[in-house]
Amino acid sequence: MGRTAVPPVRQRIVTLSLRLQRQLSDFCLDVDVVCHESVTAIFGTSGAGKTTLLHLVAGLTQPDAGRVELDGRVLYCSTEGTNQPPEARRLGFVFQDDLLFPHLSVDANLRFGYERLARAERRFEPGQIVDLLEIGPLLRRMPQHLSGGERQRVALGRALLSSPRMLLMDEPLASLDQGLKSRIIPYLRHVRADLDIPILYVSHSVAEILELTRQVLVLRRGEVLAHGDFFDVASNPEVLPLLDAYGFENVLPVELIHGSEGAARCGEQLLRIPPCDRPAGTRLFIGVRADDIILAQQRPVGLSVRNALRGTITSISAVGATRLVTVDVGHKLVAKITPEAVDELRLAPGGQTWCLMKTHSLRLGPEID
Amino acid sequence: MLTPAEWEVLALSLRVALASVLLSLPPAIGMGWLLARCDFRGKLLVDGLCHLPLVLPPVVTGYVLLLMFGRRGWFGPLLEVLGVNLAFDWKGAVLASAVVAFPLSLRAVRLAIEDVDPRLEGVARTLGAGPWRVFFTVTLRLAAPGLWVGALLAFARSLGEFGATITFVANIAGQTRTIPAAIYTYLNQPGGEVAAARLVWISIGVSLAALLGSEWAARRSRRFGNAS
Repeated sequence: MGRTAVPPVRQRIVTLSLRLQRQLSDFCLDVDVVCHESVTAIFGTSGAGKTTLLHLVAGLTQPDAGRVELDGRVLYCSTEGTNQPPEARRLGFVFQDDLLFPHLSVDANLRFGYERLARAERRFEPGQIVDLLEIGPLLRRMPQHLSGGERQRVALGRALLSSPRMLLMDEPLASLDQGLKSRIIPYLRHVRADLDIPILYVSHSVAEILELTRQVLVLRRGEVLAHGDFFDVASNPEVLPLLDAYGFENVLPVELIHGSEGAARCGEQLLRIPPCDRPAGTRLFIGVRADDIILAQQRPVGLSVRNALRGTITSISAVGATRLVTVDVGHKLVAKITPEAVDELRLAPGGQTWCLMKTHSLRLGPEID
Repeated sequence: MLTPAEWEVLALSLRVALASVLLSLPPAIGMGWLLARCDFRGKLLVDGLCHLPLVLPPVVTGYVLLLMFGRRGWFGPLLEVLGVNLAFDWKGAVLASAVVAFPLSLRAVRLAIEDVDPRLEGVARTLGAGPWRVFFTVTLRLAAPGLWVGALLAFARSLGEFGATITFVANIAGQTRTIPAAIYTYLNQPGGEVAAARLVWISIGVSLAALLGSEWAARRSRRFGNAS
C-alpha cells in the first residue's frame, strides 16, 4: 500500500444527530438517530430510503421537516428556519457512479473543491491524497479513459480534497465487480485509519460494511429498524430477513493459533479455517454463509466436516419456505434450513445443537483492529 | 469581386445576424435553464409564449414589435427618453431578428441543459461551489455543444429574416436592407435578376460557412480536455 505523509490520527468522536422526515412516493422517510461512531454504515434493501437519507444530510434534497446537527453545528432545522446550502455544509459526497466531471482532467477534478477552499481550511494537500490513493499516474488522464476502480478512487480523492467535515458514501463500490471491490476497500480502510474524517457509508453488502465498521443503522421502508453493533443488530429477528435477501453471510471473530495450519479459536472452541500466512494471535473475521451451516443433534463421527461448534438455539424465524435458526456459539450464527429439518431435529429455542461447517466454506475476512 | 453595394448588404447582414445572436442567446440560456431545471406554475404558458415567434407569421411578429417599440408604440416614449431609436435603424433589425431567432436557440439550449446530469451539479455543490459557479463551470461547460448549435440556428434564422424586419423597420439601404430585403428589392426592379442571383450565391456561401463553423466549434467543445 502506498506510503503516506499523513500521521495516523486517533479517531475523533463525532456526533451526527439526524431527525428527518420526508414524504417519498410510497412511504415516509422518518429517521431520528444520533451517531457517535467515526464510521456508521447504513444498511437496507434497495428502495429503503438510504440514498434519500444521504441526500437530505448533504442538502441536495429538502426534507419536509427535521433537524440535522453535526458536532454541534446546525446544518438544517425546520423550526429555526436554518437551511445551509450544500456548498456551506462541507460534506464530501461519493456517489455510486463516480460522477467525475467529464470535461476536466483527473488533476482538475481532484482540485475542483480544493481550489475553492481558503488556505487555512485546507486539511490535505493534493500530493498527500494522490499518494494515499495511488492515483499519481492518472493525473493527466481524462475520466473517460479510466477504469471503474480508478474512477472511484479519483472521486474519493476529490471529495477528500474538499476537506469535508464528514464523508457521505452512497454504495461507492456497487458498480464495481468483486475483484475491484476488494482492491478499493484497503483504500477506504486507509482513509478511515489515517484521516480524521467521519464516514456515513451506505451499502447493502454486509461483507463490505464489516470491512469498515461494526456500527450499523438498518433502514426499512424509511424507518430505522435497528441501530448499533452489527452483531447485536444481526440477531434481531426483523433484521435477519433483510440480511438474508443477499444470501446472508455469518461473520465470526476468530483468533489465529497457527495460520499456516489453519488453526484458529472462536471463544473457547477450536476451528479449522483455510490456511493463511498471518501470525499467531491475529484476530480476524471469517465469513460463512447461512446455507453452508449444517445443524446436528450430536457431534458427528465419520464425517469429513472439520468444524463443529456447540451452541444454544436463541430463535427460529420463518423466511418464506425456509427457516433461519440463530445459534449462540459464543457469537450468533445463523443457519438456513428447511422447516422439515426443524421438525425432525426438534429444534426449538433454548435447545442445544451443533453447527457443522466445512473448512473450505469459511471465507477469510478482514483483520479486527 | 463584390461590388461596393453588395459589400454593404453583406456587411450589414453579418452585423445584424451576429448582434441578434448576442442579443438572443443570453435570455435563451436563462430561459433554457429555467425550463430544463425548474418546475413552476404556468411553465407551460411560459414555454408557449417563448415559442410564439416560431409559429406566428413573421409579419405579425414585426407588427407587434412596431406596436411596442415604434415611435408611437407602448415603449416609444421610454425609448425616446433613453435616446434609443429603433425605427428605420439597423438596431431595430437586430431586435426583430433576435425575437424571431429566440425560440430556435432556446430549444437547442434547453435540450443541451436537460442532457447535463443534475447529479454532476449536485457533486459540484457538495465540493463547495455555489449555484452560479456550478452553472458556469459545470452546466454551461457541459452544454457548450448545444449552445453552439443554438447560436448557429439563431444566426441562420437572422440571416434569413425578412418578414418581421420589413414590417418593423422597413427596407432602407444601409440601415435595414439585409440580403433577403436586397434580393426582394432587386427582383422588384426591371433587370434586377442578375444582381439578385449574385446575392443568392452570396447568401448560400455565408450560410454554408456558418454551418461548417458551428459544427467545428461544437465538435471542439465536445472533445473534452482540450479546453481545460
